Amino acid sequence: MRTAPEDWTQRSRELAQHLSRAALGDRQAFKQLYDATSAHLFAVLLRIQRDRAVAEDLLQEVYVSAWKAAASFDAQQSQPLTWLTHIARNKAIDSLRRAQAQPRLETVHAEHDDDDRPDLDQRMADEGPGPAELLERASDARQLAHCMQGLSAQQRQSVALAFFDGLSHAEVAEQLRQPLGTVKSWVRRALMTLKTCLERAAQRDDLIAGA
Amino acid sequence: MDYGRRDLADALAAQYVAGTLRGPARRRFEALLAAHPGLRQAVAAWRARLMPLTGAVEPQAPPASAWQGIEQRLWPTAAPSTAAEAAHTAPWWRTLAFWRGASAFATVAAIGLGVLLATPQPQAPPVIVVLQAADGAPAGTGGGSFVASFSADGRSLVTRPVQPVALQVDRALELWAVPPQGAPRSLGLVSASGLTVIQRDKLPQALLDQRNTAALAVSVEPPGGSPTGAPTGPVVFAGRLQL
Repeated sequence: MRTAPEDWTQRSRELAQHLSRAALGDRQAFKQLYDATSAHLFAVLLRIQRDRAVAEDLLQEVYVSAWKAAASFDAQQSQPLTWLTHIARNKAIDSLRRAQAQPRLETVHAEHDDDDRPDLDQRMADEGPGPAELLERASDARQLAHCMQGLSAQQRQSVALAFFDGLSHAEVAEQLRQPLGTVKSWVRRALMTLKTCLERAAQRDDLIAGA
Repeated sequence: MDYGRRDLADALAAQYVAGTLRGPARRRFEALLAAHPGLRQAVAAWRARLMPLTGAVEPQAPPASAWQGIEQRLWPTAAPSTAAEAAHTAPWWRTLAFWRGASAFATVAAIGLGVLLATPQPQAPPVIVVLQAADGAPAGTGGGSFVASFSADGRSLVTRPVQPVALQVDRALELWAVPPQGAPRSLGLVSASGLTVIQRDKLPQALLDQRNTAALAVSVEPPGGSPTGAPTGPVVFAGRLQL
């Protein structure tokens, strides 16, 4: 859930400081922001856009946009890294739209010809952790851990493929060999379940804090 | 807005942030965002919910060329030739005349508040440096002064002009730490009209040591700050550090 600026971590505060100075035109502060965040954003971009050269180009676009929009960053609305990550994911998803070809899906299907349930981790055996494993790891983060457990296995897989690897509904359906409508409803229900669960957790925290 | 539409807006925001809203629908949604604060709020809430997921992705350092590309895209005029030009003339901080002029004015106060000598405290005292208008200051910058103070907890440096400094719109003020020898180090841009807070951990180590810092100075620079890493514009305020 949204965290008020006074509850931010030291890192978030520092990033916000860099960002606000960048909004004043401070290039050094902007470089510090870059140094502190570019490895994270590059990794996020690379998961969605596998072409390193394209991903590097996108990374540049992300920071050019961030520099220009620094003044519009609103600490009440989001944390700095959340804001930057959102810009990066948008660029990456848009770049997929531009590049029509999705050859990697074909190879996946060749590998899993006789398999109804493709092994998501195996799919990226040579490229680091798969989306399912990332979901497990992300589960260290706060309430998300608990709430992810509330999803069915298919819901989790669908969300992981869409979120980490930028697959569209149709691509997730193809990957999981399920009808498009089924996948759509898995993703939709998964997101709504997460929302309800996170909101309930936030209310509980408020109650405890208020007690 | 009725419930049905609010639910729809929230569902769209969720799909947008999750990345499954694609193609023309995604573009339409983005166009709507600009005009609908409620939609923006829903997107912000979904960002906050889902973005922590990306924390699991192993960071990957981009190549150095990435930053160079960003610099070129953002500031194409900041060419190295400017540095060569700047190095051509003797920099202001090495000219004796500058310091003679500056010290004629300089009532540089380094004031340790509190009974700091009497009671040993681990905390550094707040130090205030008053930077007086320098001789070379162009008209319009006023004859006022600039105050830089290090907070008592040692975590930040705060600067403020005593009176707002009138600057051309395409100019900015940059703060410098001037060492006894060598080139000044930039401490970043400072506001010409109000407070600027610089976090201490962003400042050079042991800045408050006269072996490292002889003086603080403020120069007039292009909007993004000095393109060369050394002051390029006239120095409008300067003050010696005395502890």
